[in-house]
Amino acid sequence: MSNHEFIYDDETIASTCDKTADGVTVTVGEQKFTFVPVGDDCFRTMVNGKSLVVAAVQSEDTVYVDIDSRLIDIAEPSEDGFAGGGAAGAGEKDKIFAPMPGKVVKIQVEMGQEVEEKTPMVIVEAMKMENQVNSRAKGTVKAINFAAGDQVDTETPIIELELDES
Amino acid sequence: MEKLFNKILVANRSEIAIRVMNACRVLGIPSVAVYSDADLNSRHRLAADESVHIGAPPPRESYLDIDKLIAAAKETGADAIHPGYGFLAENPGFARKCKDNGITFIGPEPEAIELLGNKVASRIKMADAGVPLIPGMKGSETDLEVYKKTAEEAGFPVMIKAAAGGGGKGMRIVHEASELEGAIEAARREALNAFNDDTVYLEKYIVNPRHIEFQVMADTHGNTIHVFERECSIQRRHQKIIEETPSVAVDPDLRARMGADAVKVAQAADYTNAGTVEFLLDENGGYYFLEMNTRIQVEHPITEMVTGTDLVVEQIRIAAGLGLSDQFKNLTQRGHAIECRIYAEDGDNNFMPSTGKIHHYSEPSGPGIRVDSGVQVGQEITIDYDPIMAKLIVHAPSRDLAIEKMIDALNQYKLLGVKTSKRFMIDSMLHPAFAEGKTYTDFIEKHMADRDANYGDFKELAVAAATAASVMTKKTTAASSEGEATQPTVWSSIGAWQIGESIHE
Repeated sequence: MSNHEFIYDDETIASTCDKTADGVTVTVGEQKFTFVPVGDDCFRTMVNGKSLVVAAVQSEDTVYVDIDSRLIDIAEPSEDGFAGGGAAGAGEKDKIFAPMPGKVVKIQVEMGQEVEEKTPMVIVEAMKMENQVNSRAKGTVKAINFAAGDQVDTETPIIELELDES
Repeated sequence: MEKLFNKILVANRSEIAIRVMNACRVLGIPSVAVYSDADLNSRHRLAADESVHIGAPPPRESYLDIDKLIAAAKETGADAIHPGYGFLAENPGFARKCKDNGITFIGPEPEAIELLGNKVASRIKMADAGVPLIPGMKGSETDLEVYKKTAEEAGFPVMIKAAAGGGGKGMRIVHEASELEGAIEAARREALNAFNDDTVYLEKYIVNPRHIEFQVMADTHGNTIHVFERECSIQRRHQKIIEETPSVAVDPDLRARMGADAVKVAQAADYTNAGTVEFLLDENGGYYFLEMNTRIQVEHPITEMVTGTDLVVEQIRIAAGLGLSDQFKNLTQRGHAIECRIYAEDGDNNFMPSTGKIHHYSEPSGPGIRVDSGVQVGQEITIDYDPIMAKLIVHAPSRDLAIEKMIDALNQYKLLGVKTSKRFMIDSMLHPAFAEGKTYTDFIEKHMADRDANYGDFKELAVAAATAASVMTKKTTAASSEGEATQPTVWSSIGAWQIGESIHE
């Protein structure tokens, strides 16, 4: 069994997944669904006794889903607690990037502050939504390159950390 | 069979370019694609026998650049150009430039394009020819008093329209005399911005109208015929999204009268090749000439489905100087056809334009299902071009069966990564008013405004499907943690492809 978390319309929803002989069974809350692959990105499932083919494909942190022609984007929370961004420096844990171009709403740390993994660092507004960006490693804040109200892209780090060696 | 042309350059992109290339292949004529930087790997480029790069993504620097297109034709030895729809299809200057360079423009003569492109001039011409027009001004006026007088004679509501108009730009509905002056000014401003021409005119606004258009074909030997009607009443912001033929509102007598008038319009304009005469049909069977479109229409496939014809092949034959094919001399309508346009826009969010990369693409197939598409997996949909990505067309023995088939086809049509209006179109066709054939041009405003697509009911299933995809898909980068196979298959790495491109024709 594996545990998962997704973000649907700002709501974080947990799911568990079990492998079966020909597919997977996924439990979400009280509901249980069985999926059998039937071709590229398509899965057969049963809803209220009715057979239905849903399409779903993941690209970076987003899963694009088609249910009965309803097109739904489901975000996968990334390690830094942010949903749906393919930030430029995903590998560099000492740098905090905006997940997409936007505006800094609030810097939540100060110079020299020691932070843990998942400490809230900055809130970035993009496409009219506020996104919480968290630290992805333990360390000390060594640079804050922007202030509230600044426009940011995904290339320049907003905050830089001195990582703890341990 | 003797080759009609040595080579045809298709001055367009995406689905219509591929459609024309298919017709070229049927006739054994090599085709040339043109492409901008944005279309280096687009399907239309790969569907042609050869291709020429014509510039940067903005249309002005590529698909609208007449000199580059003419140069591309000369460079490749193409002796004919098919313009598709949009871009330069209704530009008389382009048609003339082709002619001047000894290249056949597959379409009408420049003079006909010019006349019919001017809505005021063409109305005067058609009124003289005895074609019914919407009551209103005979031509453009500048005096506000003339507008007021005409509006009162025709009866409110009235409509202000741009002379050079199209696509709903420069149009204003006016319900009473006091609103008239402001509406005229607004329409003028809009027309100036859109068409660089602020000429507007006034006419009666028809309540509960249907948009009925007739396909016309005319050869260069004096034969002009109509290929029946298409009803295109389902529109959002004056843009068609669902079209069908035959129309439930057109009986054989009305069809004969409207068809005869459509032929009259084409003849009055000395029209040759394929064209479409648009009418408004009111509740009482009164119909009024709107305009004639001097190109192959987006919705031409539904006519092909019910008549078993290939209109683009016929366009090429006519352009080569041949008379109308025998097939066109004895046409009948068989069954019912519907087209749904797949635009890159979110039908469940006020038709907001949607851009992005296509991550999954698969098409329905089966008897009576046709897909004219210009997109594939991996393609970026940008704001540079018309948002039409594909057209779904179905053909069935009856209207009810065609609706059922279309709903199933839409559900089978899967395009992930960019939003479309699939669910919106399905819900439109499921509405009782659609089934009853009450398809007036205000259908969407009237019946779909407070629609709920019930996304909330599918929250758990959507998250479950996302979980399944995340666990089972080979494309996810995170899946390797469980040691699953992450190697892409040859199918996913080459993207969508079709042998010969014509399997749905």
